[in-house]
Amino acid sequence: MIQLKNIEKYYSSKGIKHYVLRHVTTTIKQGEFVSIMGPSGAGKSTLLNILGMLEEPTYGNYEFMDEDVTNLNERKRIELYRNHIGFVFQAYHLIDEMTVYENIEAPLLYKKIGSSERKSRIADLLDRFNIVAKKDLFPNQLSGGQQQLVGIARALAAQPSIILADEPTGNLQSAQAEEIMQLFQKLNKEEGITIIQVTHSEKNAEYGNRILHIADGVVKDDVAVRDSVKI
Amino acid sequence: MFKLNLKIAWRNLWKNKVYAAINIGGLALGLTAFVLMLLYINHEESYDTWSTDLKNVYQIRERHDFFTPDNKEHWNEISNSRIANLIRSKLPQAVAVTKVDNDWGFSNGFSLKVDNADPVIISKIKDSDSSFFKVFPYQFLQGSADKALENKETIVLKESLAMQLFGTTKVLGKTIKIVRWRSDKGTALTITGIVADPKFPQSVSFNAITRTGNKDKDPENPTNNNYCLVYTKLNKSSDTAVLNQTLQKLYVDFKKNLLNGQKKSYNDIYKDGKSPGLKVIPIETVHSNPPYTSGWFDKLKPVMAISAFLLLVSVINFINLATAQSVQRAKEVGVKKVLGSYKRQLTWQFLIESAMQSVISLFLCIILIEVVLPAFNNHFKVDLSFWHNAQLFVMISQLFGLFVFVTLLAGFYPAWILSNFNPVSVLKGNYENGLKGIALRNVLVIFQFIISVTFIISIGVMEMQSRYMNNKDLGFERGNLINIKTNYEDDFAERLKKIPGVEYVATTTQIMGNAFNVPEEVKYKGNAINLNTVTVTMDALPALGVKVMQGRIFSKEYKQDTVNTVVLNEAAANLFGKNLIGQTYGKVDWEGKTNIFQIVGIIKNYHNEGFDKAVLPTVYKVTSLGGTSNTNNLLVRFNTSKYKELISKIENEWKILYPDFPMEYTSMDDEFSKSLEENNRFMNMIILFSIVSVSLSLLGLFALSTFVAKRRTKEIAVRKVLGASNIQIVNLLNKSFLTLVIAANLISWPIAYIIVKKWLDGFAYRIDMPVFPFIAATLISVIIAILTVSIQARKAAVTDPVNALKYE
Ligand SMILES: Nc1ncnc2c1ncn2[C@@H]1O[C@H](COP(=O)(O)OP(=O)(O)OP(=O)(O)O)[C@@H](O)[C@H]1O
Ligand SMILES: [Mg+2]
Repeated sequence: MIQLKNIEKYYSSKGIKHYVLRHVTTTIKQGEFVSIMGPSGAGKSTLLNILGMLEEPTYGNYEFMDEDVTNLNERKRIELYRNHIGFVFQAYHLIDEMTVYENIEAPLLYKKIGSSERKSRIADLLDRFNIVAKKDLFPNQLSGGQQQLVGIARALAAQPSIILADEPTGNLQSAQAEEIMQLFQKLNKEEGITIIQVTHSEKNAEYGNRILHIADGVVKDDVAVRDSVKI
Repeated sequence: MFKLNLKIAWRNLWKNKVYAAINIGGLALGLTAFVLMLLYINHEESYDTWSTDLKNVYQIRERHDFFTPDNKEHWNEISNSRIANLIRSKLPQAVAVTKVDNDWGFSNGFSLKVDNADPVIISKIKDSDSSFFKVFPYQFLQGSADKALENKETIVLKESLAMQLFGTTKVLGKTIKIVRWRSDKGTALTITGIVADPKFPQSVSFNAITRTGNKDKDPENPTNNNYCLVYTKLNKSSDTAVLNQTLQKLYVDFKKNLLNGQKKSYNDIYKDGKSPGLKVIPIETVHSNPPYTSGWFDKLKPVMAISAFLLLVSVINFINLATAQSVQRAKEVGVKKVLGSYKRQLTWQFLIESAMQSVISLFLCIILIEVVLPAFNNHFKVDLSFWHNAQLFVMISQLFGLFVFVTLLAGFYPAWILSNFNPVSVLKGNYENGLKGIALRNVLVIFQFIISVTFIISIGVMEMQSRYMNNKDLGFERGNLINIKTNYEDDFAERLKKIPGVEYVATTTQIMGNAFNVPEEVKYKGNAINLNTVTVTMDALPALGVKVMQGRIFSKEYKQDTVNTVVLNEAAANLFGKNLIGQTYGKVDWEGKTNIFQIVGIIKNYHNEGFDKAVLPTVYKVTSLGGTSNTNNLLVRFNTSKYKELISKIENEWKILYPDFPMEYTSMDDEFSKSLEENNRFMNMIILFSIVSVSLSLLGLFALSTFVAKRRTKEIAVRKVLGASNIQIVNLLNKSFLTLVIAANLISWPIAYIIVKKWLDGFAYRIDMPVFPFIAATLISVIIAILTVSIQARKAAVTDPVNALKYE
């Protein structure tokens, strides 16, 4: 599903290039649950942003679903957002002026989904995440964990084939974090949704089936989870 | 999505109630001023557009110097009455030609008497000839255009006058007695038609058109001339450019002929740059091209500029607050972009938001207009209406255009800024630092303050100039002096002189409120000097209370005063030279004979017109030598404080002598106020607009400083934790705004100087450019800005830093 070849990213200031990512080459297959780990400043978020086409690499080649997306125009990129990619953020990033219901509805509106289908999908998601009672509340009336559930519900609403999550549990307590991770695992196993998450926690990483270790912009290690558990 | 966006917009407005109110309210005010002006412009533009048949109607303009305010040549509306005949006989394109009375302003109207009712003064009763309704396509409710003025001694009333006099329009065949001046015997006229009042204003406005027969023929003696308005209806295919060339040729021949009859030489008259001229202008352009003053459009230009600026100030508030708020909206933009929203969709969303605010403003504006229109009409002496406007459709489409324009102007920049936010930086959370639009916002704040400071300076200078004018010595005593609209009749004057308290009764051809200039050329020591002539009675100069500079003024003791003595004003004396008392000059009369006049005195200049016009070099004479004129002034100077009593005594005497004509008079105090009226009206408007503009700018600054304080809450908290005092924090915030306000002041000084200087130059009598308003405006703007910002800054400074820091 995803193929990265020799991805490089640097920022130049005062004529000096500061490399954030170097020679990143990897393949992520449909249905994988990948965790990206590494020290602060290693370039994890940058890599995820490149995967989500929010940033462009300075050099290298990126294929998404067998299509070269290295230099994509706005229209095509947005088509991908509407149909294939869902984002989950550490800071939730719900729209403050919209209710829970409306936040989840937004991507469906962009996708121009009919109103009856929209209603049933949202009802389904609210039900599944146990937030039916909260549907008319605004984000600031929810706890962090609840907000993140809404964030995930929103990412799932458009039925994407991949979810990109940057430290989705970074602001949460461990109990809530565990709940979210179980949810991810379930989505991955039962619905075959590809998940790529950035995390600092070994424990969270183990919910997935593959870990990319990054340090100083270089992929240092790429291991399957079952192996690491065994060791 | 559209519905949801509207909802979001609404929630946002609600969340930022205060700023939304400032935005919307301010915009409503700006729009109101602008729409009022639009209404006024529409009204002025609608002159003479009440019938499509007016397309072929033209006014005749003749170039001459008779009865012009500065005694110079102009393209006049009033033409020699012979020109009507000239056009009728020599211009085949003319379908019909008509002569109409001009509004001379000598009296307020004619006295109309219906049966045995009390006489009433009705204005705008104009005498014309049989062709009037063949030229002007009025709609007849009674009678017909062809027949109405077929016979002499007939009258056609407007519907409104018929209703006023009779309460009905079914009055054909009735007679009205019309008395045109006090000693007029009166004429009985038969009503032969009633015409509907047109929906739009007319430059030839009338309450009734009469045909007494006076307009039917021209004076036989070529030295006698009648002046009146001449209009013609041309056939459809006339090309006015070609036509005017023909007219010019016809006119030169006509003028040569006429001057021949007057024993004058064409070449003598038309020298020194003078030239004959005759042309037609379409009637729609008559109102916008008055002969002596600038048209309404030129007069209105400053007002248009001001109201456009006002609108601009409110639009700037709108832009500034919207971009300042963008911090709050950035996350929404970032998220929506990764959810699959096109930039275009976001731009639309924000445009719709500003459209929503514009719509609310527009509704408020319409309500405001309804509220202020009566006051506006009263103040500007117009009769505008919004809903009962004959051009309602035009008006509504203009409003729609204005709505689109304001929405785009106010909404486009914020929408563009917002929809351009880069999702990565927004979602990373560092959008506050990389915020765009700060430079532009600063420029806009400066711009706003330039407008406001310029306004304040202008008010200051205008106030000083008008104080100067109010207190300026007029050169005559305006108190205890009235002017009755009548000519000097010995028996009436003698009766008045017997009333206790009456000091002088006199007449003059020129007085404030009735400045009738009669030019003449005299020869003094071989030089030709152009003067304005005023004929007075012996008592006129003492009655006015003029100040004698040299020599003496007229007195009964000097027999010679009724023969050939004259008094000059200072302006005239300056043209003659020094040591004038006792000197003589000569003037050639129309028969070619030279009359000799002796100068016996010089008086201080006194004003007959507003201070915008210089006092003309004038010669005063009692003698009828060299011709006289009569302009219906009877001056009464009294020395009693029982003003009302005195007037009623005078009126009693009047009624005894002239029972058929009500007495009309004005006091010189009123005339003086009237001469200042236009200026005062203009000033009041500037003051009103300035206050609105300054308050809008301050409201904008207030809201903006709130946002800035909010955005810098964290910085402020950190500084406080590091030990900064409240004052230091307030100063920190003040400094950035203060720089802007001072920059604005520096820029406004030269701008205001140029504008105000131009305004002052319009006055022949004016103050020197004062410095005080400039300094005052700067102090005022700086102090108010500091106060406004400090209120917000203090709020931010005194909040507990813990609250701000806990958030991270
Ligand atoms: N706009 C930018 N300009 C210059 N350098 C940048 C920019 N954005 C990121 N960087 C640099 O890129 C490097 C990687 O940043 P990135 O956000 O990917 O780190 P990270 O691995 O996600 O760290 P963390 O775990 O703290 O979130 C950092 O050293 C950062 O300083
Ligand atoms: Mg990161």
